[in-house]
Amino acid sequence: MDKLYGYVGKIARINLTDGTVSIIPTSNYVPKYIGGRSVCNKIFWDEVKPGTNAFDPENKVIYMTGPTTATGIPTGGRTVFTSISPNSLPEQYAWSGIGGWFGAEMKFAGFDGFILEGKAAEPTYLYIEDGEIKFLSARNLWGKLVHATQRRLEEIHGQDVKSIVIGPAGENLMRNASVTTSNDNVAAKAGLGAVFGSKNLKAITVRGTGTVVPADINKVLELRKKMSHPPMIQRPIIQETHHGVPGAQSEVSGGWQRAQVACSYGCNQHCMCLMLDMKSAFKEEKVNHVEKCVSIFAFGFSQDVPYGGPGGVGGVFQTEQNHYPACKMLSREVDPPDTSDPYFELEFAPGPGDILDFWKHDFDKGNVINDLCNEYGIDKWDVIIWLLPWLSMGKKEGVFADIDFGMEIDVESEKFVRYLIDMIVYRKGYYGNLLAEGMARAIRVLGKEKFGDTIYHGRYSRMIDKQLDLPISLETAWGHSVHWQGRGFEASIAKPAWVATNLHQMTATRDTQTIQHHHDTFENYLQLKDDPCRSVLTARGVIMGEHKAEMKDSVTCCDWQSPDLFWTDMEAQMFTAATGIPMSEEEMNLAAERSRNLFRAIIIRNYERTRELEVNAIFPIMQYPDPWGETVTWDEWNDLVDLYYAERGWDKETGWPTRETYDRMGLKEVADEMELNGKMPLIKK
Amino acid sequence: MEDNTITARTYGRHIVQVPSDVSFCAGCNACEIVCTLAHDGVVGPCYNRIFMEKGTHSMVTVIHSCQHCSDHPCYEACARKDHAMCLDENGVVYINEENCIGCKRCIKACVFDPPRINYVKSTDKSKRKAKKCDLCRTRPEGPACVQYCQVSCLSLSDK
Ligand code: SF4
Ligand code: SF4
Ligand code: SF4
Repeated sequence: MDKLYGYVGKIARINLTDGTVSIIPTSNYVPKYIGGRSVCNKIFWDEVKPGTNAFDPENKVIYMTGPTTATGIPTGGRTVFTSISPNSLPEQYAWSGIGGWFGAEMKFAGFDGFILEGKAAEPTYLYIEDGEIKFLSARNLWGKLVHATQRRLEEIHGQDVKSIVIGPAGENLMRNASVTTSNDNVAAKAGLGAVFGSKNLKAITVRGTGTVVPADINKVLELRKKMSHPPMIQRPIIQETHHGVPGAQSEVSGGWQRAQVACSYGCNQHCMCLMLDMKSAFKEEKVNHVEKCVSIFAFGFSQDVPYGGPGGVGGVFQTEQNHYPACKMLSREVDPPDTSDPYFELEFAPGPGDILDFWKHDFDKGNVINDLCNEYGIDKWDVIIWLLPWLSMGKKEGVFADIDFGMEIDVESEKFVRYLIDMIVYRKGYYGNLLAEGMARAIRVLGKEKFGDTIYHGRYSRMIDKQLDLPISLETAWGHSVHWQGRGFEASIAKPAWVATNLHQMTATRDTQTIQHHHDTFENYLQLKDDPCRSVLTARGVIMGEHKAEMKDSVTCCDWQSPDLFWTDMEAQMFTAATGIPMSEEEMNLAAERSRNLFRAIIIRNYERTRELEVNAIFPIMQYPDPWGETVTWDEWNDLVDLYYAERGWDKETGWPTRETYDRMGLKEVADEMELNGKMPLIKK
Repeated sequence: MEDNTITARTYGRHIVQVPSDVSFCAGCNACEIVCTLAHDGVVGPCYNRIFMEKGTHSMVTVIHSCQHCSDHPCYEACARKDHAMCLDENGVVYINEENCIGCKRCIKACVFDPPRINYVKSTDKSKRKAKKCDLCRTRPEGPACVQYCQVSCLSLSDK
């Protein structure tokens, strides 16, 4: 290949054990593997064998930009890490996206991505500048909080460097530790910050003066215009009097100031808001804080978000007139709903959220929780949606009577929250050490029956006027807590939506959101709504969503941009604009399916994944009722799994792709290896 | 940050950032990106003609651009004045890059900190060029940065 537009052409193999660097041409992988996660999957498949654990030096952290990164194509600032996730149960290969300015700077420095191998002998950080990679001592950085580390790196190397760092949580191998940019973009899912920690790697700092050349500049500019719908309006700083999502807001004494920031290089989306002058957990002065999705629940969590029709507030099922990605409303940057839509009333029928009674609204405490997570470098999700609700529900049900954390459990108290998170991050005492292993592992050590499955009696559905069972642990599958899965938290989506989300989760290795929020058309909803488990449309909708997620993480772009169900070749257009390589919608779908099946092959080969494992992992959470009192039966669920596997070209008994499926997407060598390993389903006549 | 001693200077038309009580810069880099795409067909930090001072921790972004000073010290300092650094009939200070020898005199002469002129570093001497805002003087749609700012926080001053 002469020139690969959109890319800079090199992937760095960085060996932390012996301090060496070698270069792999990006064209070894692209265009067959588009970029981002798809390239990572291929590298992991080739290089990391079964039996490797998350904290082994043999585990690799693979980081990739995509063809759009730093080309000016909106949301292309997002990039992806993959590795063996310490937070998954069991540890498995997983991925995490990250926004910010780091990915673009990597390209300016001459690299499309890197593979981190081995383990440094002492705390180390990498300094990358214009093609050169230096291994520097991080002795003076080890132990520092996230922002202090970022600041120190800017003092040493100059204001204009871009860094990703881990905090004390990653250093102490807390299993849900994040990797963080200076403006709090995080790779939080999967706990890859702890893999950095296990490699004695504190940070990667980069500066580049090179260029990225997109193939078709007019097309890039056209995409910039077209993708920014609805257009942003002038955005002044707004003085807010309340905080929360519409329908579940609380007054904030003295109010607060809201502004709007972009989260990654070249982004034109509207997904988050900037909260100015918030209380810090560490400093006297106030800090600015980005609010996105889960943050909002740190402040107050006494009721679930109100329902908004069968699609719920996320707009899971969309019409051409009304299609908003889930959570986009956080920035309040969406057009008002179009009431001329024939399905408007069905789509937006309001309903009250469940009463949960986890904790009352406390603005300052919410800020402190967010700041603690930011500075220690922890996935907020696990703290806000799992740890704290577990303590709240468990306390009310009396399961912690014999547990002595050294301070009385009280999630309403800022002092307790500070004490608790500090104890876990620094692994203080028996319980600090235990909870640093992640909620799933901790609950199993304590005894799942009591500490996971005990019923909380405080959940109340105002939809059907009834108290509803909820376990005190909001665990779903693979060691992660529920996320848009119709249980306890974000229960506000109805069965047609949550069966789809649970199916997404079933074949994953981590929390599938946010890169895989389920979306489907309202036309499909009308056909599948009465029996979603027996409709092939549910399976097809999930497969479409999974492929779009592979594309999003490969092209790369973001969940607030994609999928656009009414502009279906958007990602293919992005790829072609960046690289100049013609790519049709069909070819893009095939590339996504290839990436998906390669991921499938990895988890079958390396982790013995089977249908039985998958169904057993996901089924229990769906035995607790949604706000309408709905669950799934064993037969219903298995019927849906049958439909899904058949649509995928995977064997119904084992869940393994057939040779024909691998061959169809040009993965013959994968099929051969699977056959050698005895992981190829037997063809039945 | 702006130097207070030069507030008495007079400027020509230039790109201004709308104050944050009207619109808050989202810090998205779109202005930098479309500027380099429109002029050079590339994206890269050495090609920017508009500069973002990103408060990475404060998350507040300030935009710096050439003010097209009416006494244009950069132009006066240019070793190839009127060939490299040029002035058009509207007082726009622009660079004819073909003739720029990359001597950096204009950058040193810029009265602002950071200087409003960028510089392409290259091992190839012939590629070392100064880059500065020309107000998109030859672009029929006018300034690209203003056109593509997603929150409309840039505009053209009417000075
Ligand atoms: S480059 Fe600097 S000195 Fe020259 S006109 Fe612009 S602001 Fe004035
Ligand atoms: S007016 Fe044109 S040349 Fe000047 S900064 Fe804006 S886009 Fe660049
Ligand atoms: S395009 Fe507008 S919002 Fe984006 S960085 Fe430039 S001035 Fe700020």
